[in-house]
Amino acid sequence: MSEHGHEESSFVARQFAVAEFPSPQTLLDGTTKMREAGYKNLDTHTPFPIHGLEEALGLKRPKIPLIVLCGAIAGACIAYAMIYFCNVFDWPLNIGNRPPHGPPANIPITFELAVLLGGGSAFMGFFALAKLPQPYHPIFESEDFQRASIDAFFLSVELPPGTDMDRTLADIRASGALSAEIVEESER
Amino acid sequence: MAAPQLDARDPLEPQPLIEGQHTDKTINDSLLAHVWRGAGKGWWACFAVALSLLGMLVIAISWTLYKGIGVWGNNIPVGWAFGIINFVWWIGIGHAGTLISAILLLFQQKWRTSINRFAEAMTLFAVICALLFPLLHTGRPWFAIYWLMPYPSTNGIWPQFKSPLTWDVFAVTTYFTISLLFWFLGLVPDLAALRDSSQSKAKRLIYGMLAMGWRGSGRHWAEYKWSYVLLAGLSTPLVLSVHTIVSFDFATSVIPGWHTTIFPPYFVAGAVFSGFAMVMTWMIPARKFLGLKHVVTPKHLENMCKIMLVTGMMVSYGYLMEHFIAWYSGDPYEFAQFYYTRMRGPMAGVYWTMIFCNVVVPQIWWFKRWRHNIMVMWFASLLINVGMWCERFNIVVTSLHQDFLPSSWRNYAPTWVDITLFMGTIGLFSTLFLLFLKFVPAVAVTEVKELRHELAHDPTADPVGETH
Amino acid sequence: MSCDDNHEAGSKDRAKRKSLPIAGKTSRPKYWTSAEDRARTAPVPGAANEFAGGTFDVGPDGKGTGVSRRGFVQVASLSTAIAAVGAACRKPPQKIVPFVRRPEEVVPGNPLHFATAYGLDGYASGLLVESHEGRPTKVEGNPAHPQTLGATTSFEQSLTLSVYDDDRAKQIRTGSRPLAWRTFLAETAVRANSLAENRGAGLRFLIAPTTSPFLADLRRRILERFPGAKFISYASLSDDGAVEGAKLAFGKPLVARHKAAPANVILALDADFLGEGNEQTRLSREFAARREPSRQMSRLYVVEPAMTITGSMADHRLRLQGSEVAGFLSSLISMLASRGLAALAPLASLTHGQRHGDPKWLVALATDLERSRGNSLIIAGRRQPAAVHALVAALNVALNNLGNTVEFGTPLTSDAMTGGAPLAALAQEIASGGVDTLVITASNPVYGAPVDLKFAKLLERVPNTIYHTLYEDETAAAVKTIVPAAHPLESWSDLRATDGTVSIVQPLIAPLWGGIQEADVLAAFVGEGDVGAHTLLRRFWQAQGKAPGDFDGNWERWLADGIVPGTGAPVEAGLAIDGAALAQAITPLLPHGKQGMEIAFAADPKLYDGRFANSVWLQELPHPITKLTWDNAAMISEATAKALGLEDSDIVEVSYRDRRIDAPIMVVPGHADDCVTLPLGYGRTGAETVAADVGFNAGALRASDAPWYDRGVKLEKTGRRFTFAITQDHWKMSPDGREIPPPVVEASIAEVLDPKSKFHEELEERRPNPEHPQPQIHKPVDYSGQQYKWAMAIDLNKCTGCSACVVACQSENNITTVGKENVQKGRAMHWIRIDRYYQGTFEDPAMVVQPLACVHCETAPCEYVCPVNATVHSDEGLNEMVYNRCIGTRYCSNNCPYKVRRFNYLNYIADYSAAREMGMNPDVTVRTRGIMEKCTYCVQRIEQKRIATRLEGRVILDGELETACQQGCPTRAIVFGSLNDANSKVSQLHADPRRYDLLHEIGTRPRTVYLARVRNPNPELAAEGGARPKGEQMKGGHE
Repeated sequence: MSEHGHEESSFVARQFAVAEFPSPQTLLDGTTKMREAGYKNLDTHTPFPIHGLEEALGLKRPKIPLIVLCGAIAGACIAYAMIYFCNVFDWPLNIGNRPPHGPPANIPITFELAVLLGGGSAFMGFFALAKLPQPYHPIFESEDFQRASIDAFFLSVELPPGTDMDRTLADIRASGALSAEIVEESER
Repeated sequence: MAAPQLDARDPLEPQPLIEGQHTDKTINDSLLAHVWRGAGKGWWACFAVALSLLGMLVIAISWTLYKGIGVWGNNIPVGWAFGIINFVWWIGIGHAGTLISAILLLFQQKWRTSINRFAEAMTLFAVICALLFPLLHTGRPWFAIYWLMPYPSTNGIWPQFKSPLTWDVFAVTTYFTISLLFWFLGLVPDLAALRDSSQSKAKRLIYGMLAMGWRGSGRHWAEYKWSYVLLAGLSTPLVLSVHTIVSFDFATSVIPGWHTTIFPPYFVAGAVFSGFAMVMTWMIPARKFLGLKHVVTPKHLENMCKIMLVTGMMVSYGYLMEHFIAWYSGDPYEFAQFYYTRMRGPMAGVYWTMIFCNVVVPQIWWFKRWRHNIMVMWFASLLINVGMWCERFNIVVTSLHQDFLPSSWRNYAPTWVDITLFMGTIGLFSTLFLLFLKFVPAVAVTEVKELRHELAHDPTADPVGETH
Repeated sequence: MSCDDNHEAGSKDRAKRKSLPIAGKTSRPKYWTSAEDRARTAPVPGAANEFAGGTFDVGPDGKGTGVSRRGFVQVASLSTAIAAVGAACRKPPQKIVPFVRRPEEVVPGNPLHFATAYGLDGYASGLLVESHEGRPTKVEGNPAHPQTLGATTSFEQSLTLSVYDDDRAKQIRTGSRPLAWRTFLAETAVRANSLAENRGAGLRFLIAPTTSPFLADLRRRILERFPGAKFISYASLSDDGAVEGAKLAFGKPLVARHKAAPANVILALDADFLGEGNEQTRLSREFAARREPSRQMSRLYVVEPAMTITGSMADHRLRLQGSEVAGFLSSLISMLASRGLAALAPLASLTHGQRHGDPKWLVALATDLERSRGNSLIIAGRRQPAAVHALVAALNVALNNLGNTVEFGTPLTSDAMTGGAPLAALAQEIASGGVDTLVITASNPVYGAPVDLKFAKLLERVPNTIYHTLYEDETAAAVKTIVPAAHPLESWSDLRATDGTVSIVQPLIAPLWGGIQEADVLAAFVGEGDVGAHTLLRRFWQAQGKAPGDFDGNWERWLADGIVPGTGAPVEAGLAIDGAALAQAITPLLPHGKQGMEIAFAADPKLYDGRFANSVWLQELPHPITKLTWDNAAMISEATAKALGLEDSDIVEVSYRDRRIDAPIMVVPGHADDCVTLPLGYGRTGAETVAADVGFNAGALRASDAPWYDRGVKLEKTGRRFTFAITQDHWKMSPDGREIPPPVVEASIAEVLDPKSKFHEELEERRPNPEHPQPQIHKPVDYSGQQYKWAMAIDLNKCTGCSACVVACQSENNITTVGKENVQKGRAMHWIRIDRYYQGTFEDPAMVVQPLACVHCETAPCEYVCPVNATVHSDEGLNEMVYNRCIGTRYCSNNCPYKVRRFNYLNYIADYSAAREMGMNPDVTVRTRGIMEKCTYCVQRIEQKRIATRLEGRVILDGELETACQQGCPTRAIVFGSLNDANSKVSQLHADPRRYDLLHEIGTRPRTVYLARVRNPNPELAAEGGARPKGEQMKGGHE
């Protein structure tokens, strides 16, 4: 299945080395080894989040918190501005002798909108950063990769064109993988 | 045996969180089994009942829209009745879900994982039921549906942002949206698991789409954990704010029995109280029929009992304070409301039912044997659902029907439409819930796996389920 | 202003008027609102109709959703309805003249007011009718009229509804054969000629009592042509007793005219002079004027079997059976005689020794009457027999009230006697086959006539019966020929007030359903049926040559002013009574020796004799005392109920003589024991859709020899129960122990006049006090900068609870009705309701009423809870409803401490007929389903005046702007105006020491304030009954 990729001139298939590890712990060790061995674009695929993967993969601090903060603040501002505009600026009315601008009465909606936009940005933010939805990914080409969402722990390495496959596979095995294979993006 | 050592880190708690020897695979299969398994007779039976109730709901709603609110029992002075009672009741029930999944998550309560998916779903469906009423109970829903939103209308009038009802609109819609997002975000990895363990192509396709191409990437997990925790962090004050704001509908008014500063905490406690009762009402049969006994263990149920005991006592304290303040304030109308109208008035029956169900019943859980007797637990939870409905009846109807001027006092009696609407929402809730049980894992598979590993990697316990 | 002339009167004869002694203070009263605690019996939906016969869903006309039943009628009359619209929009052909000089052509949007008159039982009430583009929309009293003085009764207010009533008779017909008016005239001419041959021997006219000089003249001319013919007047509620009494006393039939203004002490003997009768409106005004708290305040004693409006205003009320009144009166007379009233000596022996009524009471009363000789007034009610009226006349004479508080004059009605006796005579004639043609213009005699006459059967024996009627009622079903009548607002005629003053009745609109005027029907018999009432009327008055100068000028002035000057009737002078002779004549007449429970028939304050039964307004108007709607009830006292083992709402079989009817029981406070009161006017079986199936027909027991009172009635439990539709539900407030501040405040005159009394202390607590204001979070909005600061003051001391304001408001503001079932559910729509509170024992309660509409709180709790800004405050302090913005959350109503907001739970206006829609006030939005509504202080009137005065470049003066309720109020209890005008009446009342704010303690700062009720108890009786009973007494009522 993987040969045709080279003949094609227009389309350059991305290649990945995929390796299964027996347990979360071994996966962590393996990942760290591979990263120290100088491999870039490492990624792991596990049925559940594993403690310490961030370090193993050498990831930076996540961006979500900042996004959420901005969302929440925006929500609060929008809410208060809206209330002020409607009931104080645009058309103030005598509502049972209450002053048009009553801060205490504005708290609930201000808070709710802050939460709404904050939560919304947490959700949207995640999918944006994860570039999801993404129906196809080369790594799905791997036969038993579907166990990645069930009970298997995978390490994947995206290989720049012209990498020495065998050496890579060897390194992976060395880092404690049960099995390792090369998958290649199919043209569809 | 190994089971006790599973949670040896918790010496006070003899029962395990996960019973028996498991691998990720076995957990995966056992927890997804009920999705793949064809619907059994039992399910269809329940579904039929639920659907027929739903049908009644449709009829009742159409009739209400066709004739007007006059087909309900409401009058002057009792301008609000079943509609608002049901609204508050359902919203309250919804709260347990968010509370369990969010607050327990923040407090890293391990036992939450087995029930949070369940509870979150319940939240969603309860809020959907609740949302029906504020709309239906208005005189002109066809306007209410958009006049409450601040949009530049031709007549230039804006909503009135000092009204608790306006706050409600924002609170409840926010609550629904956030709950939905939170629920779905938690569901994505499990959908991937469903996708990958599904046998037929169609299922694979559908769950595949829902899973959005999730591939358990470590980079994703990194952001995912954060956004999940942040959503939880936001939901926690949200869930408190929502019922607080609902309580403002009453607390900000001048009516004796409504005008009470203790309402916000007391409503929230009540919400959690009723919410847990509802979770239990559904969880007990579910764990039996869906084969979830190994993840929803007696320990979970016991913990819920304890929470209900606590929240039940908070609610009782609320009642106590209401009566105390009514006496202490020296306000004759307050006093009359609590010591005559409620205790001896025409609707005293509802009051005493409330006292029995919400104050007396939970006390049984002081005793361990009741915390372990499933049947008793289940009936108690039913009683508490009833009691909490009665509480709302007391607040809404009993307070209104005798307020200040004796000349305008009036009795209230519901009509068939009122009752049908209420039963109907139970039908709607059940329908949605049964569908949920049929098509979505009722337990957060991913989180259970994670939990299993955390426990397994406990230094004091020997590795379990590792494949050597 | 009424108080001013009262003071004048005061100064005028203060010399001979000794001021009354003042009662001391007593303890704070406890209030309760009814008999048994309905608390534990929540109304069972549906059970409503077990008596009336089930209807599924009740529409605003009180019938099954209307559609099903009324639908047919509507479709059938669609063409007529459309024609009606046409008819309505063009002005009547004859020239009618607006009240104030205005360009005659109608300015769209500018209503015109026309003066006219309406006669309930023949006597004129001068009215001003508002007309929009030729459609009468609102009835007001004519200020220039001596009887109404600008006020109205609820009956008069309801005229603008009945004129558009789709149920009205619409077709002249003989049997089922429709006739054209021309054909009818032709046939009548033929018949008249044949009758004329034998001098009209077989020709009889059964007419309603009328004071019309015009009709009297017509009658004269008919009798000229048919000397053998006869006219008989009949009204089922007649005043024959009074007339006969006068005859006994003075030897000739006379009618008494009463004056409450000069009266220091009033004794009403079974006389509801504030609630019914021809003098009601004027007497209410005069009475209220004398109730201003001062040393000159009058004192009212009432002796009656069942609580009435007058009884509720009493300082001392004695409940006696109707037939015991005579005994009480003679006891009083003998007591006065024994105290040296020589004139009464001959009558002293009537009592046969035994005393009726509480001796202490008698003594106190007698002393009071003596003390204020010449300024006392004794009134006997129409239900009392001639003997009582005769004695009352004697008493008034003896106390030389004659000429001061009471006058006599010859009856103005064309027949002195209008009751059962003349009708019985007619029945005789018919039975003997002496009647060939009977023309009936009286209102529904078949229903009203004494049942023993079997009038319906008799009519079959008359070859030709012609019935001139507004409705296809019971009588219509029993006659050969029907002539649909023109409504009073469609007719030309004239009427005389009690003092004789003539008013010309001018039509507001051309007859909608081709109704024929009474004059035309009568004229047909002198061959002038086609001339037209207008011409005939003008001819008649031209011939009178009343006023000098050109007739057209006078005519226009009479029409415009609503009265014909110089037409007052003379007062009988030099009346004297021969006591001995009177004693002789009366002795046999006094009721004696009858045994058994007493049955008492009563006119209904809502439907009168049943003629208003098809008016949804009046059907749904809460009964002034019982607050009952859509039904009548057999009323008995608690003791009687206990004795008979009956409970409220039991359906009993009432058997009297050989007749029986089923009736629901209502146990009412203050009712005489061993006596049942049956209101007339219900249980109608005519073709009217609203009237059908409402209540029971007490008339089915009424015999011609005992029109009002008799003994020997039995009540037997049927086991069935009935569900009343009562707007003020039966709750006890204090008996269950709760102590909430009483909504009504009352005090004895002594407390009011003593500035340091506890009463004034209490009131200080119940109104804003500049010294120590209520704590406020927000700075109160300052309205002083505005041109007006609208506000209202309601004087509980003047309000009699007559309910004219309720109907006035309904008419002015297009307020819908909701039907019986919805009233039971608690959805009545009246913007102003009259709350009723009892105080004291259940047997002898004192009653206070409190009109309550939106009080326009400055810190309105309803406003801040509305999510869509549908209720907001205006610059001038009105609490405004924005109907088209309302989405109907009902939150505002929940948060209204006064519960004065009303909600359209269903689309009540759905089945309004095309005709009824024409009666709507075009200045007021008609509210549809799902909308909240409430009192607006008649904002449409404010704006109209604002525009009018702006055009004149001036401000609205105090008093020139009146709300509908204020304008309709006979006692001027309601005052509306601007607080920014320091001299306005309302400002003065807001500064009155009796002012208090309802629910002041919750800080709503209402713009409508109340003035405390004042009672003027006789110190010798102060302890008991009257003003302030002891706590334990009131408990007694509830054990």
